[in-house]
Amino acid sequence: MALYNFKRIQPVPAANDFLDIVLSRTQRKTPTVIHKNYKIGRIRQFYMRKVKFTQDTFEEKLKAMLEEFPKLDDIHPFYADLMNVLYDKDHYKLALGQINTARHLIDQVAKEYVRLLKFGDSLYRCKQLKKAALGRMATIMKRQKDSLAYLEQVRQHLSRLPSIDPNTRTLLVCGYPNVGKSSFMNKVTRADVDVQPYAFTTKSLFVGHMDYKYLRWQVIDTPGILDHPLEQMNTIEMQSVTALAHLRACILFFMDLSEHCGYSVEDQIKLYHNIKPLFTNKPTFIIINKIDIVRPEDLPVEQQDMLKEIAEKDGAQIIQLSCFTDEGVMDARNTACEKLLTARVEVKLKGQKINDVINKLHLAEPQARDNVARPPIIPEEVKGRSLFNLNDPNRRKLERDLEAENGGPGVYSVDLNKLYIFKDPEWRYDSIPEIIDGRNVADFIDPDIQEKLDLLEREEERLETEGFYDSTEEIVDSEDEALRDLATEIREKKKFIIQAHRSKKMMKNRPILPRTVKTKSNKFFNLSLWRKWKKQLGKLGLDTSAVRARSLTRKRKRNDNDGDDSEQMDIDLPPNVLKSRRLGVSVSRDRSVAGLAVGQQKQTTKYRKFAQRRPNQFAKAGEADRSIQVKRPKHLFSKKSGIGKRDWR
Amino acid sequence: MAVRAQFENSNDIGVFSRLTNKYCLVAIGGSENFYSVFEGELGDVIPVIHTSIAGTRIVGRLTLGNSKGLLVPSTTTDQELQHLRNSLPDSVKIQRIEERLSALGNVIACNDYVALVHPDVDRETQEIIKDVLDVEVFTQTIAGNVLVGSYCALSNQGALVHPRTTIQDQDELSSLLQVPLVAGTINRGSDVIGAGLVVNDWCAFAGLDSTATELSVVESIFKLHEAQPTAIVKEMRDSL
Repeated sequence: MALYNFKRIQPVPAANDFLDIVLSRTQRKTPTVIHKNYKIGRIRQFYMRKVKFTQDTFEEKLKAMLEEFPKLDDIHPFYADLMNVLYDKDHYKLALGQINTARHLIDQVAKEYVRLLKFGDSLYRCKQLKKAALGRMATIMKRQKDSLAYLEQVRQHLSRLPSIDPNTRTLLVCGYPNVGKSSFMNKVTRADVDVQPYAFTTKSLFVGHMDYKYLRWQVIDTPGILDHPLEQMNTIEMQSVTALAHLRACILFFMDLSEHCGYSVEDQIKLYHNIKPLFTNKPTFIIINKIDIVRPEDLPVEQQDMLKEIAEKDGAQIIQLSCFTDEGVMDARNTACEKLLTARVEVKLKGQKINDVINKLHLAEPQARDNVARPPIIPEEVKGRSLFNLNDPNRRKLERDLEAENGGPGVYSVDLNKLYIFKDPEWRYDSIPEIIDGRNVADFIDPDIQEKLDLLEREEERLETEGFYDSTEEIVDSEDEALRDLATEIREKKKFIIQAHRSKKMMKNRPILPRTVKTKSNKFFNLSLWRKWKKQLGKLGLDTSAVRARSLTRKRKRNDNDGDDSEQMDIDLPPNVLKSRRLGVSVSRDRSVAGLAVGQQKQTTKYRKFAQRRPNQFAKAGEADRSIQVKRPKHLFSKKSGIGKRDWR
Repeated sequence: MAVRAQFENSNDIGVFSRLTNKYCLVAIGGSENFYSVFEGELGDVIPVIHTSIAGTRIVGRLTLGNSKGLLVPSTTTDQELQHLRNSLPDSVKIQRIEERLSALGNVIACNDYVALVHPDVDRETQEIIKDVLDVEVFTQTIAGNVLVGSYCALSNQGALVHPRTTIQDQDELSSLLQVPLVAGTINRGSDVIGAGLVVNDWCAFAGLDSTATELSVVESIFKLHEAQPTAIVKEMRDSL
């Protein structure tokens, strides 16, 4: 269905409206302020942009139009032909061709004026060039006034066409005017086609839908056809002919033997013969309508013969019905549908697509491989039983009903023992111990289990007496022993390695300075030298305190006045805080361990050290190290923004 | 009589039930709705038994049975075995089997006369199947799938197999099983037939999602309601 939906074509504006749309868009979407003292490059650019933008808008609109209108060569021949009949193919193609030409012309105009604008030397000249360019484009578009008006009409008509799917199951109703085609359509579908007692009530194709065998069927009501050559047929009749020619449908040729329609039976038969070539390869039915007035049996013999001749020669089946009394209407519909369905299925079975689904249409019948009978096992009581009915008052009480009575799902617990099949139904609720005398109940499921056990034990005994188990244990080969030795050796070595590793770990995560580095850095300040010197002097009985006295920084001693301030008030501080500290006014504690017990503090220190070990080893920067992420933040080093040319802000 | 059912919002009712001509196993669920669907149809004809296998509810996939016997996997507990023994008629043999592929319902498909088994099932297991269920055993695949139990539904009157089974395979399977066979779907296009459909010789239960067309195929191929399998071909051809 979606394939042929012409309802989505955008409306085509009239030429003047079209211009208004495009030009106002240019005005809205391009800059509008320009001064003559701007740089000439900027002025040129300003006008070039206007010209180009206008051209782009034209291009876009026209292209959309060209794409949306169906191309006669691409659509189904039925629609192509129908459009030819309704709108005249040449006219339609010409209109679209002119639109296309206009598009090219506008494109060329734009190109030409953009080139000229490059040489515009003042604001005024540039503006005149732009004006000329837009003017020429507008003239070109105005010349398309007729084409646009025509295309708009076509669009409106197209969108009102019935959406006929040319490929689906279709019944096509045709015949002389006023023979009851639309009445039949109204009987079998819910389409409400206008029915009037005069000719050509139906002036175009109408489509209705119905269901048969759970499938969707399309019924197409066509305008009546008069019996004259194809060239003389008018648009209304040609629509019928188009449908007849292109739709692979079941043809229902309606006839009115009562001649109430105003045409004689002979004329109607003549029409049938004339348009017969359109019916080839399609299931065809002659529908005799209005049998409440005249039946074929009541006709003169020659006319009856004519009808018979058709039935015999062309294989068209004759069906009688009356839309007035509803007699035979449904039969006619069903026969027609059935015949079309078989015809379509046959065609499809010959096609390529069928290979995908053919295996699902195949009923595999077994080929007998032996003479064994394999009858179904169906209990007697099942036969003649109907489906369980929940609303039957005498129905069986289900577990579900019990559940509902006893508290519903989640509350009701099902009785599993209820259906046990025992000799005595009273046994059902006997409690059975899981294990009794060291045996599981399941052990008793096999009645021969004792015998089997005995058999096994006897075999075991026999094997034992035969000495089956004796020899195996004594064999210890030298290879095994060598393997064991190797294993102990490996284990020992492993132990050594672990020990070595542990002793290394004693260093904790203290940095290890290689000896070479030590000597190098101590070139100017060799501590060990100092120490040696000091030692030597001490031996000689000299005072060594002055040796490094000057180079050491003197620190303020905290315990200077220790001991003589006992009269001061005691402050309750934790006992592990030094007395000197206790005396201080402000006590600053380490925040990282605040609120932790002593044991926990130790633990946290330990964890911290562990976490720092690796970064320390590789001298990595930690989070406490100073870092500058961005040296020169852009926003601090840039000027105010100008007219908005930069792409970074 | 094809009935639609659902187990706790799952359409794979074949996972939670096992139906044969002599008994029906149903998983213990949160409510009795699923059980009562079976009970309503079969209640006074054959025992409909609540059970778990190895403590799970997937009784249909773990067990295998026909009217002569029932095979349960090695994981079945003693209590479950005892419960089954007490609930089943004496004519039905129960056998717990040591098989690596313990989802017996997935790897084996059987009716009362023939069984199809997964190619990797032990020879010993095949012997047990032959003895306990009293069937002929054939190693087969269905449409290239080794899980024969999952991709087909069998009764003594017909068989429905995976939708992509080729015509040659269908003919071969049909001759092995000696029943008419079609390829089709259940549960609105699902190809795991064994999970969506449980069937015996007079009754079928399908997932709630199954379409009318699928059910009409089921009724025809399994000859439920006096339908004939030939109707399938005609009906399906019409919908081309």
